Amino acid sequence: MSVIAPKFKLSEFIKSLLDNVFWIILILVLIGLPAIFMILFVIELPVINGELLTPFLALSWLVNPTRTLPIVHAFMETDIFRVIAFPGFGFAALLAAGTIFVERKMLAKLQLRVGPFYCGKFEGILQLMGDGLKLISKEIIIPAKADKPIFWAAPVLFVAAAAAFVAFIPVAPGWVVADVEMGLLGVFAVIGFFPIITILSAWSANSKFPFIGGIRALFQMVSFEIPLILSLLGVVMLTGSLNLSEIAASQSSFPWIVFLPVGAIVFFITMLAELERIPFDLPEAESEIVAGWLTELSGMMYGLVQLGTYLKLYAFAGLFVVIFLGGWNGPMVVPPFPAEILENGIEMGPVTAKFVGLPLFTQEMLNGTLWFVLKTAGVIFFILLPRGVFPRIRVDMLLNLGWTKLIGLAFVNIFIALGLLYAGVLGPGGLQ
Amino acid sequence: MAEAVFLALAVITIGSAIAALELRSLIYGSIALMGTLGGIAGFFFLLDAPFVALFQLAVYVGSIAVLILFTVMLVKRELIFKKIEDKRRKFVGIGLMLVIMVSLGAVFLDSGIKTITTDEPSPNFRDIGIDFVTYYWPALILMGLLLAGSVTGALVLAKREDVENDQRAS
Repeated sequence: MSVIAPKFKLSEFIKSLLDNVFWIILILVLIGLPAIFMILFVIELPVINGELLTPFLALSWLVNPTRTLPIVHAFMETDIFRVIAFPGFGFAALLAAGTIFVERKMLAKLQLRVGPFYCGKFEGILQLMGDGLKLISKEIIIPAKADKPIFWAAPVLFVAAAAAFVAFIPVAPGWVVADVEMGLLGVFAVIGFFPIITILSAWSANSKFPFIGGIRALFQMVSFEIPLILSLLGVVMLTGSLNLSEIAASQSSFPWIVFLPVGAIVFFITMLAELERIPFDLPEAESEIVAGWLTELSGMMYGLVQLGTYLKLYAFAGLFVVIFLGGWNGPMVVPPFPAEILENGIEMGPVTAKFVGLPLFTQEMLNGTLWFVLKTAGVIFFILLPRGVFPRIRVDMLLNLGWTKLIGLAFVNIFIALGLLYAGVLGPGGLQ
Repeated sequence: MAEAVFLALAVITIGSAIAALELRSLIYGSIALMGTLGGIAGFFFLLDAPFVALFQLAVYVGSIAVLILFTVMLVKRELIFKKIEDKRRKFVGIGLMLVIMVSLGAVFLDSGIKTITTDEPSPNFRDIGIDFVTYYWPALILMGLLLAGSVTGALVLAKREDVENDQRAS
């Protein structure tokens, strides 16, 4: 007897499944197919390679891999694929999900706990999915005196800003959503939106703890934006470009962290502060002000803010990799695509299948992605690590750090870059 | 396409500027101000000047608007809305506005806007930077000194006597 469903019977379960199948087929035949044919009268079907693309042809293409692969190939070149799947949202969300799992297990191990354990067979690997389902199914409660339009809009805007940030990060040569000339300035502009969204969300909840948290977030983000921008200027001076792809490509022989370690350290610390991570997690200090500016958010609104936070974490780690650790550059470790498959196709017994459109990804792209992901995972690990080790610092210490020490160090970094440039070590006529 | 975008941006910019002045709620007013500043950034994008546009976004929408929001949230409403209105102030205000508009218009008309050509290649931001540190360097240094002076002044104004000692004494 199951505890969850005491009246469970297998025969009834199968019967209900068959019932569903019956009704689906019936409705599809009686309503679905006529509707499709009625629509087909109206739509003008495209002609591809001299053939009219009828539904039958489209279905036969779907099951024929020699015809499907070029379609997939063409789809991967489109902007939609880049935004939704590979260098954009899907890829970043996947890495973010991995980050959450690693964070929870690693923190648990650091503090001699077990961490998520029961969801999924192996080490609670499905815990994130369980949490997501819980957040989706929870009711969204809005405080009675909240400013509703802003309160609703803030989580969505937060995710949108984080996704816009992700769009600037180049993953492999040519694989970036928005390859703009002023990529780094775009990043600065997008980072500038986070404090506004935070303070508006905190204010609109009309509650004590969110407002305290929001004010703290505003202090922290605005004061750390300045050393963040200044610490990246050294690299811009040495590269002579604001395009992130060019900055990554300029590090083919050595990463900039070799020459500008001060800038890298300053950028890393400001990154921790912008991400509101321990030791700078004052805006959501859970032991003082409940959950800071997230206190009144419930259900999927909280889920969206969490998603945005982890997307932002990935984007900052990716930015660190692109600017200081050489981006996709690394030794070629991915083997080339086997030439026999390209020439002869795959032989399976009597059948020889020739695949047009292989390989789907070039060797450079796979290698670049591999190195980028490895480096990003390393940086994310170092972002997560302080959470298990450090206590939270006070707000006056935080502001003192940001306004005096970090800005000073960022200027030192700029002078190091200028010295290297004028001494002829780097830049035109130098090593690179 | 460009005309439609221009019209949309103009509607957004002017509409949110009017909203920023007229809305009763101060927070919504400052959000509308953000809309105006963002619309101006859009105009710069339309003019092939992404450098200026992104700085407009980063500085005006990102920082100035935050400062305004901050002020609005933390300062009491009565302090902002203390109205002193009489005839003399009104006429001086109108006169000041006329002077500023006439001088701005004179600057515009004098800047060569009459002989504008629309299909020139967009200026490179590197050239602008080189111009700043060569031909226009006195203006740059003057601006730097002004900003440094204003930051120092703000620090002096914001500095207060240590409250802690007072509490201890009492």
